[in-house]
Amino acid sequence: MPCFCVRRWLFSLVFLSLIAPVRAAPMGFKESVMAMGDFGPNWREVFANYALTPRDAVGAGGLWMRSDDGLRQRSLADVGYTRLLTRWNLPNAQANVWFFGGLGAVTGNDFAGSKLMVTPGVQADYETTRIYLAASARLYRARGLNHDFASLRAGFSFYEVDYDEVQPWLVIEARRMHGLSDTTEITPMLRLIHKRFFVELGANQSRQARANFMYIF
Amino acid sequence: MNKLIVLITIWLLAPFAFATTTIKASVNGMVCSFCAQGIEKRLSKLPAVASVFVDLKHRIVAVEAKPGQTLDPAQVSAEIVEAGYAVTQLETLAQPLSEVKAQAKALK
Repeated sequence: MPCFCVRRWLFSLVFLSLIAPVRAAPMGFKESVMAMGDFGPNWREVFANYALTPRDAVGAGGLWMRSDDGLRQRSLADVGYTRLLTRWNLPNAQANVWFFGGLGAVTGNDFAGSKLMVTPGVQADYETTRIYLAASARLYRARGLNHDFASLRAGFSFYEVDYDEVQPWLVIEARRMHGLSDTTEITPMLRLIHKRFFVELGANQSRQARANFMYIF
Repeated sequence: MNKLIVLITIWLLAPFAFATTTIKASVNGMVCSFCAQGIEKRLSKLPAVASVFVDLKHRIVAVEAKPGQTLDPAQVSAEIVEAGYAVTQLETLAQPLSEVKAQAKALK
């Protein structure tokens, strides 16, 4: 029953994608350091990781989240592990499945002290020189807290460029976080990619600005 | 005097004796510069490498050896694989990198 197994695996992947942050390749090449940031009114995240192997990276970061009404806040400081589970290097495309593992301490303005939070997640992405698709799901769980996160992204580049040129993309992201927001945030973003950096600028349907970056050292 | 003549002769003939070696690889999965820069960085660190050329559109990575040095195709291939990509074809060319670049540009 191999077809059934593949269908079930694909279904599981799509299901997971509907329930977490999507990054382009979430780690750099072996022995590189990648720094990432995601900034908006209700979501601010910074993270850096070091690629131990072509498939494994370890890092640390911080995440601040706020509910849509601005009343509840969460702050998470965590250490993370990123694993490239599988990669398909195709003639004109690349597809990946990633695993994220995270462990940290979360604090909030509606409970005392800090709690241990675990943040496992997966990401599947497919990219050509002109098209980008990604789905990600990540759990944010602590005792009495559930802020599971899901995200879908689709984008296209305006034109192909040479390796040493900046490439502009239009990317649209839909994301949702359980327990802090009742709405699905839709954000169209202009993405600029060059060798070392990756920048995204946009605004969501509530006209809240958003900025993401990645940089490889 | 004879020694001086020999030295001058060697100096004059050296560029012909050490013909430029370039290794050209066809690479699968190389779709964006942000992702592919690892290839350039890793190959640039090899002691015998003078320069690296990456062409995303035609999926080509080419490296030129320093004068008088030779490149190990297996090592070039291994570095690309370590950067996370798949090498589908590897050629050793007796032509400078500038010619490979010019040929790639001409295809666009």
